Amino acid sequence: MEQDSVDSGAQIDPLSNPFASLDSLSPDLSSLNDLAMRGAWRSILEKVSRSRSLDLLKQPHHHLTYLSFNVLALSKLRRFADANSELESLQDLDGSDYRYETYPKVYPGRSGSMVPFSLRWIHCIIPIKLGRRNEGLDRLYKLLDLVREKLEERKSNSREESLREWKRRELLVINTIIGDHLIHKEFSVCLDLIRNLLSGDCLGLDAFLLSELGYIQLQIGDLDGAKGSFSQVEGIADKEKSIKLMNLVSRNKALIYLVGKDYVSAVREYEECMERDHTDAVAINNKAICLMYLRDLSDSIKVLENSLERVPTVTLNETLVVNLCSMYELAYVNHAEIKKTLSNWIARVAPDDFDSSCTRI
Amino acid sequence: MSSSQTSHSLAFRVMRLCRPTLHVDTPLLVDPSDLLVGEDIYDDPMAASHLPRLLGSLKFQPSGDAADLGYRNRFLLNDSTDSMGLSGLLLLPQAFGAIYLGETFCSYISINNSSNFEVRDITIKAEIQTEKQRILLLDTSKSAVESIRAGGRYDFIVEHDVKELGAHTLVCTAHYNDGDGERKYLPQFFKFNVANPLSVRTKIRVVKDTTFIEACIENHTKSNLYMDQVEFEPAQNWSAAKLKADEHSSDENSTARETFRPPVLIRSGGGIQNYLYQLKSSSQSSDQIKVEGNVLGKLQITWRTNLGEPGRLQTQQILGAVIVRKEIDLQVVRLPATISLGRSFSVHIDLLNLTERELGPFEVSLSPDDLPEERAIMINGLQKMVLPKVEAFGSIDFHLNLVAMKLGVQKITGIRIYEYKEGKTYNPLPDMEVFVDLE
Repeated sequence: MEQDSVDSGAQIDPLSNPFASLDSLSPDLSSLNDLAMRGAWRSILEKVSRSRSLDLLKQPHHHLTYLSFNVLALSKLRRFADANSELESLQDLDGSDYRYETYPKVYPGRSGSMVPFSLRWIHCIIPIKLGRRNEGLDRLYKLLDLVREKLEERKSNSREESLREWKRRELLVINTIIGDHLIHKEFSVCLDLIRNLLSGDCLGLDAFLLSELGYIQLQIGDLDGAKGSFSQVEGIADKEKSIKLMNLVSRNKALIYLVGKDYVSAVREYEECMERDHTDAVAINNKAICLMYLRDLSDSIKVLENSLERVPTVTLNETLVVNLCSMYELAYVNHAEIKKTLSNWIARVAPDDFDSSCTRI
Repeated sequence: MSSSQTSHSLAFRVMRLCRPTLHVDTPLLVDPSDLLVGEDIYDDPMAASHLPRLLGSLKFQPSGDAADLGYRNRFLLNDSTDSMGLSGLLLLPQAFGAIYLGETFCSYISINNSSNFEVRDITIKAEIQTEKQRILLLDTSKSAVESIRAGGRYDFIVEHDVKELGAHTLVCTAHYNDGDGERKYLPQFFKFNVANPLSVRTKIRVVKDTTFIEACIENHTKSNLYMDQVEFEPAQNWSAAKLKADEHSSDENSTARETFRPPVLIRSGGGIQNYLYQLKSSSQSSDQIKVEGNVLGKLQITWRTNLGEPGRLQTQQILGAVIVRKEIDLQVVRLPATISLGRSFSVHIDLLNLTERELGPFEVSLSPDDLPEERAIMINGLQKMVLPKVEAFGSIDFHLNLVAMKLGVQKITGIRIYEYKEGKTYNPLPDMEVFVDLE
């Protein structure tokens, strides 16, 4: 699909191509990216601070990129107030300071906003995380307006790659909005928003979105609705066989079994997922839950412990740890000791953003 | 939670097993294009041709050993729907939570041996104790658990349909032989309270032969209730039909409409939903003149909450108003357009015999209950008018001459029919308002 662009890229001298590598985008961006991949968010804070003090950031957009990493890192570490003041230092994101055309010598011929989109998005998320939900939600809906304006502009001047990015961002924002309504159990709004997405041209009948719809319907208690949504997912997966989709279908089936209290069949579906992809963290976690409802606490603990040992980078998440600790509390009189052992292990391997309060020690 | 004074090797641990929940949390995940470059960079044709390849390689690294991926799943978005934060991960119940009448109480019970010795010959009982009764949920006395090793466990799950309000106690007891052979008794109590999930208010309206029942269901729980079924189960002589408002068919999109049937959700903490039922008496015999037994029926309500957790309730019998079926009816066929003070006017009336036997003759008069001086409208001329017999289900029409004595809006009231043969008096005509004008 990208064949043309790849070919044309090969003809440009890599030295003069500012898009050849991450480091040509911004100084040492690849190492920032690597740190983020490893969850080393504290190191990112240090690196940003060092780069700023050593005056390594030369161009306006370097500052913005580093600031974005900084804000993301602070947010990841749940230092939302700090992230907020960092963001506020930018003042108006739509100001001329953050537009390429303001610096024609640095960016000859380029125009538009150089603000990384994630800054706008985090700007909406922070108030929510700080307990000012209405403010955050207002910002999200305003951001959606902005994204749609950008989309309209790009539809008229047929910039395909740009159009694709803004469509993706539209989806990102809508999904974030749905998630927030979901947390507050405002189900009707969620259903309306998903209905718009499914019927609109920006996504259409997407297997992942349909599955999310099914999960929401299950949460509401609308079992028939959920079955309907899941069967549409199966229809899509039949045409486009991939492990990702096959596992999605199996996990959906397992949930329907679980709702019908057929935990044995649910476990079987999850095991199929794990055979196809041993890193399917959802299948692993949910299999353990089903075993628990089958009165097999010992095995459910084993499933979770084994997965943490085998593939910690994909399975180590707060939800799984909360479940494991609940199981420990039920299974062992001396659960405090066992949880301490787990917590020490987590402290060694977990990424910086791991919320260790989930062990409830 | 309490246990007896003696030190025990065994201890019960309990977790209420309501359905697990699907974990929701806004994840802080980003797409590389939203973090590493400016948002409008793709408007630059050169960027548009090179960036997708560069950034795409970050997103979709060839899947190798999981360890090589690092914690990228906690950093990068795989799919836009990930930002909804509904990953499908299930979470065990984290608190006992509220339990409501009509739900099922389910509990995981684990009996742990925390001593360094094997415990033998254990009989375990689990009961629910309410103010009214004790219900046995589990009893191993017929086949005792042989042994629980040091540090070992014996697990079981109990279920109980909650049918009573108020204080409940889950009583777990164990008899066992301790490491030194001593027979011990361990009772443990877990208390919880059962609340009412909803209230049902009914209103009954009778319009002619039809009875309508309006039911207002109010949700007192902390979760939204998905109403599975709210059906009126009519008593013997009634048939019931649920009446629904016409659906708005403004949404024309067919795929979306198939995907969605908007669910009936009653919001948590005081949300309401109204239901309307039309009841018809199914007994055809009109011999039953006065009252059908005034039991109309009851409402059967089932709902679901998180992951299909079911609940069900039925109301007590709903009593209807006493329905008196009319034997005689009067219907005004025509009133004059203008009625003038002191001028005689004629009202054209039909008298209907609604029984299956002949009635009559009849005498039409004004009720003597009202004082004559308070009357605004009186019969003009003879104060009593006699009408002949009317056959079963037949009718007769007649003209009643009246005269208005007061100006303004007045009522024609108190017209009374006396039936000679059975000696009954009827007041079948509802009050009628008329306007009395000058000349």
